[in-house]
Amino acid sequence: MTETVIAKDSKSAATPRRKSGGHNAERLAYLFVLPALALVVVFRIIPLIWGLGYSFTDYDGMSQPRFVGFDNYIGIAHDPVFLDSLVNMLILLATLPIWIGLPLVLAILIHQGVPGGKIFRAVYFFPAVLSSVIVGAIFNVLLRYDGSFNLFLKAMGFSAVDWLGNSSTALFSLIAVQLWSTFGMSLLIFIAGLSTVSSEMLEAAKLDGAKLLQMWWHIVIPSIRPIIEFAAVVTTIGMLTSMFGLIYVLTAGGPGTSTILPEFLIWLEQGKMNRPGYASAISMVLFLMMAGLAAIQIRIMSRNADI
Amino acid sequence: MAEVQTREKRILRILSIPMALLALSAIYPVFFAINAALKTRKGYVLDRFGITTDPTFANFSQAWNQSRLSEYFYNSVVVTVGAVLVLLVVASMAGFALAILRFRGRKIIFITILVSLMIPVQVVLVPFYRTMIGLNLIDSRPGLIIAYTAFFLPFSVYLMTAFYARLPRELFEAAQIDGANLLKVWWHIMLPMGKPALVTLGILNTLYCWNDVLISLLVLQDQRTLMVGIAALRGEYTTNVPLLAAGICLAAAPIVILYVIFQRQIVNGIAVGAVKG
Repeated sequence: MTETVIAKDSKSAATPRRKSGGHNAERLAYLFVLPALALVVVFRIIPLIWGLGYSFTDYDGMSQPRFVGFDNYIGIAHDPVFLDSLVNMLILLATLPIWIGLPLVLAILIHQGVPGGKIFRAVYFFPAVLSSVIVGAIFNVLLRYDGSFNLFLKAMGFSAVDWLGNSSTALFSLIAVQLWSTFGMSLLIFIAGLSTVSSEMLEAAKLDGAKLLQMWWHIVIPSIRPIIEFAAVVTTIGMLTSMFGLIYVLTAGGPGTSTILPEFLIWLEQGKMNRPGYASAISMVLFLMMAGLAAIQIRIMSRNADI
Repeated sequence: MAEVQTREKRILRILSIPMALLALSAIYPVFFAINAALKTRKGYVLDRFGITTDPTFANFSQAWNQSRLSEYFYNSVVVTVGAVLVLLVVASMAGFALAILRFRGRKIIFITILVSLMIPVQVVLVPFYRTMIGLNLIDSRPGLIIAYTAFFLPFSVYLMTAFYARLPRELFEAAQIDGANLLKVWWHIMLPMGKPALVTLGILNTLYCWNDVLISLLVLQDQRTLMVGIAALRGEYTTNVPLLAAGICLAAAPIVILYVIFQRQIVNGIAVGAVKG
């Protein structure tokens, strides 16, 4: 990178003391980043530290908070609702291969020139621009016992299922709806990645007599591996932090605890208002999980930003 | 060789059939909502799935007027437009400084802003809520605008920084020689030059703000944005599906129109995060 010091600003200051001109410009530069930095610090970083502090107190919203060490953490470790939310989250995370595999296969097909590929790309992505509230409200009707989906199943010779009312199917319904509405995002990322694969390499492989499947497996997929990793990280972060809207409208966490994920439990706890310390402890657990993932994402992003 | 290619084409043509079915499933829910919204309540109970032959717009006017969606719609428009404008200005200024100017702590500041990506609103729900109360920003539209800016900002700063870092440096050097100050450089050069990235960010942030429900639920109390209104409508009218469907159509319409018009920018904008380009 060239170290061109644009802001050294020797001309406008027009004095022999170039250094003071530099300081001026430097101060101005801070003014340009200040709004962004202040917003992020005041509304995210300080609250994070504040929440970490809460999580070690018995604060009840009114009386003087008292330091209680790890009591809140021990409390959530014994809280069946929290444990249920963790199990639900693990089930969700275990479906990650589908969230990557489905859009990857579709992206490869579109890249290979499947008829109507451009239309497919636009249509598959369409649900991703809709709010999870819209998606949730529609599917709440479609997945009812007398809804379209059961009508379709019955037409195919299957029996109807109460998808959202049954605790053994509600979580899978939630996961399927979220997958349906967001796989277009990974699809776009994969298509963009595939467009960077050199076509000469593919032509050479073709001349060597490589079959289509071999070519995908041995050449195409390895060459977009960084993109796949990126999509996996972004998808996993989404699983941890982007399900709230859909849960809120589609199942409200029920039946029972069957569709409560940690992020939704934090919301329920904060709504009770009387034990912010407890809610903050759950937040911190979610943060720890996020932090590892986000560190990877940030490394990829700052590598790309190239500053 | 030609044989291989025709075989390949045939496979692709066969595979396009399940792909078309999947595409239908992506459209069907919206079709269902529009179709249901055009039915009377009785008409819906009698025939839930058939295409309506006798469309009525009564549901739309009822949702718009009696269910107060017009008021929520107004709130959403004000908050979304406000937040997107603030986001673009703040992100463009920060991106300019971080990509072009040289000052101490530049890298640390960039990393700090990126790091806040790993602090989603759920992680700071309680203290963030108390911060908003402390700053008297609860239940106010400006408060929600500020909250949206704080939570959607890091990606915007990242994108503007990455975009500006790739512009030719001669541009700013020339401006510096002309003696323009930084504010002028930003206004006359950086903003116009940044237009492609700003358009992308404008559209993406419009989607995020319009579609948000969690931050809005937390910040607004007596007032509501459209998505919170739809969520409430869903709770109140579980049996009146046509009315709910009409509300859904009204709430989704601006985004659907935006997607149809700006499909290319949206699609490219999503890919930008992954692939440098």
